Amino acid sequence: MGAAVRRAVRDGAAGFRLPPHAGWGIAFVLPAFLLLLIFRVYPILSAVAVSFTDYDLFSTPSFTGLSNYSQLATDPQFRQSLLASITYVVGVSIPTWGIALALALAFDERVPFRNLLRTGAFMPVVMTAVPVAVVWKFLFHPFGLVNVFLSRFGVDRINWLTDQSTAMPALIIVGIWRAVPYFMVIFLAGLQAIPRDYYEAASLDGASAVSKFRHITLPLLRRTSVLVIIMTVIVTMKAIMNPLIMTGGGPAGMTRVLPLLIYQTGFQYYRMGLASAMSVVMLLLVLLFTVWQLRLFREKT
Amino acid sequence: MRGSLRRSWPLPRVSATVFVVLFTAFALVPVAWMLSSSIKSQGEVFQLPIQWLPSRPAWLTYVQALGRYDFGRYIGNSLFVSAAITAMSVVLSSLAGYGLAKYRFPGRNLLFLLVLATMMLPLEVILVPMFLITKQLKWLNTYQGLIVPMAVEAFGIFLMRQYILGIPDTLIEAARIDGASEIAIFYRVILPLCKPVLATLAIFSFRESWDLFMWPLIILTKDDLKTLPLGIALFESAYQTAYNELMAVAAVSLIPVTLLFFLFQRAFIQGIALTGLKE
Repeated sequence: MGAAVRRAVRDGAAGFRLPPHAGWGIAFVLPAFLLLLIFRVYPILSAVAVSFTDYDLFSTPSFTGLSNYSQLATDPQFRQSLLASITYVVGVSIPTWGIALALALAFDERVPFRNLLRTGAFMPVVMTAVPVAVVWKFLFHPFGLVNVFLSRFGVDRINWLTDQSTAMPALIIVGIWRAVPYFMVIFLAGLQAIPRDYYEAASLDGASAVSKFRHITLPLLRRTSVLVIIMTVIVTMKAIMNPLIMTGGGPAGMTRVLPLLIYQTGFQYYRMGLASAMSVVMLLLVLLFTVWQLRLFREKT
Repeated sequence: MRGSLRRSWPLPRVSATVFVVLFTAFALVPVAWMLSSSIKSQGEVFQLPIQWLPSRPAWLTYVQALGRYDFGRYIGNSLFVSAAITAMSVVLSSLAGYGLAKYRFPGRNLLFLLVLATMMLPLEVILVPMFLITKQLKWLNTYQGLIVPMAVEAFGIFLMRQYILGIPDTLIEAARIDGASEIAIFYRVILPLCKPVLATLAIFSFRESWDLFMWPLIILTKDDLKTLPLGIALFESAYQTAYNELMAVAAVSLIPVTLLFFLFQRAFIQGIALTGLKE
């Protein structure tokens, strides 16, 4: 009895003793995690808090309960913005997935001047976001290169960025242009991870190129594919530069995607509470995708 | 002859080549057009038929464009801010990655979960509260306000942790037996082994910070702190029709990242492939 108590006490004490060098471990992670807490975690929590208030940045915030959220529920501008975001996200991510995969497969063939071409194809990723927006705005100018090119095929001049039906497609083209090379690299890495002998074995069995693609490449790239889709969704959901510079959200709000609406609501109309409520909604959307991603990977492993 | 040509150029290879060439052209035309327009006079930019290489290159466009604003200042600010963010982020990520990978302490798993949870978080979503906290710190219109909130990246911590996990513990234990301090172990044993991933992280971090736009846009009002992307946007809204000069400014802003890319192409591409490891 006494021995058992002593053992329990000793085990308990051992449980409280820190592992060796634990202090150093904490010291190493501390600076980064302090910043992470102050500039990432706290802002998320505070966004939720501010979303329940009316706050113009100058006077003290006043608690208004769920009124920001109920306003969002009926706000046609918010609904239009949500729709614009979804259009942009779907419009960019699905073609990007297909083109990036096809391009990775093509580069995996013995293409001449492969390295040179790959470097060229990669240039959109090397370009930074503001110059991209500025250059494409010029390309989509009514007298710009895009219309000059199309006129050779007899297409009449299009006012790409000021016409309600073409502004969003124009932004989507730029989005695809920028995203494809990036995700091509991820697909190429995925392709290189597939053992060559799988293909050799399939060739010995007389499998055609198409069936090798369907039965080896596609299934083994599933993980990469899902990842690419989720990453493109998150990257395109937060895109703001092109609409901000190329269209300013217009014409008639057709390209006012969610991040742009949040920026305008918060920093042009100083409605921090409402902007925070929008942020929370967007945060939930991102979270939904992240959870979905984690579940998909957990199923696989 | 014909037979051998057919054998070395089977249909998949031909179609792959055509597709790759077409896409590369699509990828490069905007870049080429930017460069070509930047050495034209304003009257020439919309002239038809297109002259890709103007007969008399107007190199003065660059001088003229860069003289319109204090671009020297903007470029200096961008270089300083990007270098500071990169240095801080590399140091903080490698320290934290090492701590998470090789030490056991209470709360470690919770911290790692935090890294995973914030890794995919787009900054654009928390711009409003980040602005509010920076305002509380009285860091609006300061260099520290530009740098510190951007200097920690969950993905960097994750990347370093994954990489350092692969370094055998026996190396660390041997150094401990030799009497090395924990800091010396990090500095002399771990960091030299991390060189490739550190290069990747640094390039990635520099590219991201060189590109920062929304953050400086909302926290800066003072002109002498403005970074290059803000300068370009400023130029764009004031001289909308001076396309040749606008393209010159854009081209200049692309130099640092392009240089990094051509110098460290392998690490650059490796970095992107590594983002595919997020899980």
